[in-house]
Amino acid sequence: MDKKYGVYICKGCSIGESLDIEKLTKEAAKGAKIQAELIKKHPVLCSPEGVDFIKKDIEGEGVNTIVIAACSPRVKYDVFDFPNCIVERTNIRELVAWTQPPNTEDTQLLAEDYVKMGIVKAQKGDMPEPNIEETDKTILVIGGGISGMSAALESANAGYQVILLEKTPELGGWGAKLYKQSPGEYPYEKLEEPMVFSKIKEVQSHPNIKVFTSSEIEKTEGQPGLFDVTIKRNGGTETIRVGAMVLAAGWKPYDATKLEYLGYGQFQNVITNVQMEELASKGKIIRPSDGKEAKKVAFIQCAGSRDPNHLPYCSSFCCMTSLKQAVYVREKNQDSMAYMFYKDIRTPGQYELFYKNVQNDPGVLLTKGDVTGVSDAGDGNLYVEVENTLLGEKIRVEADLVVLATGVVPATAEPQKYLDGLAAAVSKGDDAKKAYIESTPKPEFILNLTYRQGPELPSLEGAYGFADSNFICFQYETRRTGVYAAGCIRQPMDMNSSAEDAAGAALKAIQCVEHIAKGIAVHPRAWDVTFPDVFLQRCTACKRCTEECPFGAIDEDEKGIPYYKTNRCRRCGTCMGACPERIVSFKDYHVDMIGSMIKSVYVPDEEDKLRIIALACENDAYPALDTGGFNRRSYDSSIRFIPVRCLGSTNLVWVADALSRGIDGVLLLGCKYGEDYQCHFVKGSELANYRFGKVQETLDRLQLESDRVQMIQVAISEYDKLPDMINEFVEKIKAVGPNPYKGF
Amino acid sequence: MAEQNVVTPDLNFIKEIINAGGESLKKCFQCATCSVVCNVTPDSKPFPRKEMIHAQWGLKDRLVNNPDIWLCHQCSDCTAYCPRGAKPGEVLGAVRKLSLQHYSVPVFLAKAVGSSKALLLLLAIPTVIFLLITASIGTLSSIPRGEDGAIVYSKFIPVPYIDAIFITVATLAALSFVLGILKYWKGMSSGMSKVQGSLVNSILSTIIEILLHKRFKKCDLTKGRQTSHLLVFYGFVGLAITTTLAIWYLYGLKWESPYPLTDPLKIIGNLSALGLIIGITLVILNRFKNKEKAGLGSYFDWLFITVIYIIAATGILAEMTRLANIPLLAYPIYFVHLVFVFFLFAYAPFSKMAHMVYRTTAMVYAKQVGREIETDVKTV
Repeated sequence: MDKKYGVYICKGCSIGESLDIEKLTKEAAKGAKIQAELIKKHPVLCSPEGVDFIKKDIEGEGVNTIVIAACSPRVKYDVFDFPNCIVERTNIRELVAWTQPPNTEDTQLLAEDYVKMGIVKAQKGDMPEPNIEETDKTILVIGGGISGMSAALESANAGYQVILLEKTPELGGWGAKLYKQSPGEYPYEKLEEPMVFSKIKEVQSHPNIKVFTSSEIEKTEGQPGLFDVTIKRNGGTETIRVGAMVLAAGWKPYDATKLEYLGYGQFQNVITNVQMEELASKGKIIRPSDGKEAKKVAFIQCAGSRDPNHLPYCSSFCCMTSLKQAVYVREKNQDSMAYMFYKDIRTPGQYELFYKNVQNDPGVLLTKGDVTGVSDAGDGNLYVEVENTLLGEKIRVEADLVVLATGVVPATAEPQKYLDGLAAAVSKGDDAKKAYIESTPKPEFILNLTYRQGPELPSLEGAYGFADSNFICFQYETRRTGVYAAGCIRQPMDMNSSAEDAAGAALKAIQCVEHIAKGIAVHPRAWDVTFPDVFLQRCTACKRCTEECPFGAIDEDEKGIPYYKTNRCRRCGTCMGACPERIVSFKDYHVDMIGSMIKSVYVPDEEDKLRIIALACENDAYPALDTGGFNRRSYDSSIRFIPVRCLGSTNLVWVADALSRGIDGVLLLGCKYGEDYQCHFVKGSELANYRFGKVQETLDRLQLESDRVQMIQVAISEYDKLPDMINEFVEKIKAVGPNPYKGF
Repeated sequence: MAEQNVVTPDLNFIKEIINAGGESLKKCFQCATCSVVCNVTPDSKPFPRKEMIHAQWGLKDRLVNNPDIWLCHQCSDCTAYCPRGAKPGEVLGAVRKLSLQHYSVPVFLAKAVGSSKALLLLLAIPTVIFLLITASIGTLSSIPRGEDGAIVYSKFIPVPYIDAIFITVATLAALSFVLGILKYWKGMSSGMSKVQGSLVNSILSTIIEILLHKRFKKCDLTKGRQTSHLLVFYGFVGLAITTTLAIWYLYGLKWESPYPLTDPLKIIGNLSALGLIIGITLVILNRFKNKEKAGLGSYFDWLFITVIYIIAATGILAEMTRLANIPLLAYPIYFVHLVFVFFLFAYAPFSKMAHMVYRTTAMVYAKQVGREIETDVKTV
């Protein structure tokens, strides 16, 4: 495209009063090497007159590459929307006029650098065009329980074709095994018929839903919009094409045989809450050992849950389940009693009302306490031994039947454990790998992806085998684009929550197939039509991109050369940051572009005039800077912020570019990583931290102090702390001293 | 597992507490706000939090044997502050009722007094007794007049009859109390630490405390109860003195009633009656004033309050109608008065009247085992 430039400086919002706009025009034109006449000013650019001012140039002069030096690109994007034009926004309001003292030399130089960088960015960018392929919009739902059926119905009711896949011969999942269901609506008194049965009918009669029971996935190939899923059923296989998937493969109860101290397996009359549902379905509560009616039933909560030796987490619904089962006991015999020993009663939200109602029954006896064991009391009866009770002492209570409230193990746990073990073995060499494969029974996989990064969802440390679903911010997302997790596979939840969760995941799947069809990225850059362009001739097959891509978007051929499955890509640019050959580019974002911006920054010769580049994640750190600007939080004027798609896209060469130009320090502002990560791209900031750990070694070797480069984790809410973090870094650089390469 | 106590919950006992006025019992979720706001509990092992869980679990032995249930004066501060509306004050009231039913002899009478169904039968007993007496001596149909045609109640039912009945009833009640208290002391001793110190000192200091009504001062919500309870209490004390004097006048001085209004006996008696009626009226008013926060009370409470109110009112009215010489009102009112005095005396070991004996015993016991609190007033 033949670029015709127009640069527009807004004088509104106190920009005009803080800066010498004439000087700004002159210096920016000189620095970015464009004609000064192309740089125009307007008192209020976002006003209708201001927008017309730009439009007139587009229509009259044929301007198609626009640089707007005004407010943050995060605001008024709807006002400065000029179709078929490259529009660059450079922020001299939040980052200059609102945070720096007016009319000083430093403030003026800062604004000049931002305008220059804006123009350079526009010069280096290109008009993006979407990559559109023929895709399929069918949604595959894996799992026929309450979550899966709900996701299927939500998608089907929205007009999408759905294939619902269930491993067992029947739909319904655990919900179909219940005698009754806990109440889901006010006044939370009466137990309800399990909701799955009406859902099963609805699913079976829905024209948009095809149900495959007794079916499993043998292989999943391709990418969103173009998944080819091979399904094993009826002794044969068939391959279907789908656009996106909802993973609702559910959970298993925790293996109670591991709870020896609670007598499971040792005493017949110690059963799990799942077995209790079966007993209740048959009529009176008849205990297994002698067929006598159980009149004193003890419920042990958190049996294996919230226990570091078993499941460290809370399984969310066991309190409601046991309260419900206590109602079974009481409704079937008014002379019976239900004891409940709990760590805490967790009945969140309106479920509190159900808890209160059940507690109000004189025959339901509750106490907090730590159950230390279950022992024989003769005649099939059992003693439950409890410490730290509210009764103020260690007690033993005799019961006819003991019910263990066992928790949730997600269906993803076993495959993840196996694959993590395999990865660890592989890292030890071929022999260890072979030994592992021979000695470890292979669990049933769910997705069987043919991805280079492995057949299942990657595991997240500290997530206990649940599907890593970016739970802090975007719960249904997984690290496999087009696969959305719903229900207990991503966190323990009850049936009402699962149904709601499924609706969320279904919406994400729908968004995915629609975006893919239009060539637009999915979450979180859900407007982006760019995609990675790779100059493969220079590829050295180092595999960094294929290994580091957080979403497994890049596979490899036999020679180790990567090939992109573009629809899996989230456009974070992690591969661009990883590539030592710098051959990955986007139309509006590439290594040379950011490098050139850095190089356009004016570095004064005076040793006391520091220059620092800060690469700021545009998802968290940059919004925090904007918020700081709204709140007029001031900080040192020597720092220039450059927004990056993700800190993972930061290429080491930018640091080299900066330091070799005499820039005194480079600050990287990224998201929190680790267990409670907030990175929109899951691994970006963590990878950046890893890479910059390496660059610091290199700096030390070049006699450049490693302190000059630092990464800081910033949450979007930390706008008030950010100025102090920035100033602290500036102080550190002052202490290190000016860059010795300054002036070369 | 020697240190583990086997607990055996009793579902029927839980239901009994609920039926005795503790229907909010199960709402408790053991936050212990009640024990924190209570101004009359000892600091160690404070009540009523532990009593609430014992009650929820139907652990009868631990409740009926427990002196703490009587150390509670039902200030209702706990009830006012309870975040779940579990009304610990009302629950402990119900537990106290069950405790004295547990100890008092004979049990069937205790059950009857505690149940509204037996009320008419219990009233019928004195009614029939007094009807039979008056019918047999002929005063039911025509009542002899005194000098100047004045109303003389001793001519309606001669004093020896009255004394024979009430001395018998009072003796039986006292006997029942003694048996009950002995059982209760034994029960308390079975669960608690060893008795220490002098029993005489404990009794004396308890009596002084009761005479001064020190504990009622600690209540926040129901501060007014100190005055009302004091008036009722000293009303009864005054009436007891009046009765003693009357016995001395009759049998010592051989001087028969009615006595002139200026006589010390009459002055004491009338002042006491006035104190009683004012006190019990305040009790009722206080209960209504605090019903939102403290609860209105149970059948057991209201039976006792009503009986006292009727005794005080009929006593005063009997005297006024006698002086006004309105026989048509005077004799029926006097008759009702006698029936209710009988009710009070005969059923004292089983009604809320028994609190005076059981609470005193529990307070003495608490002093004996060192379970006492400072008498300084704490404020919330």
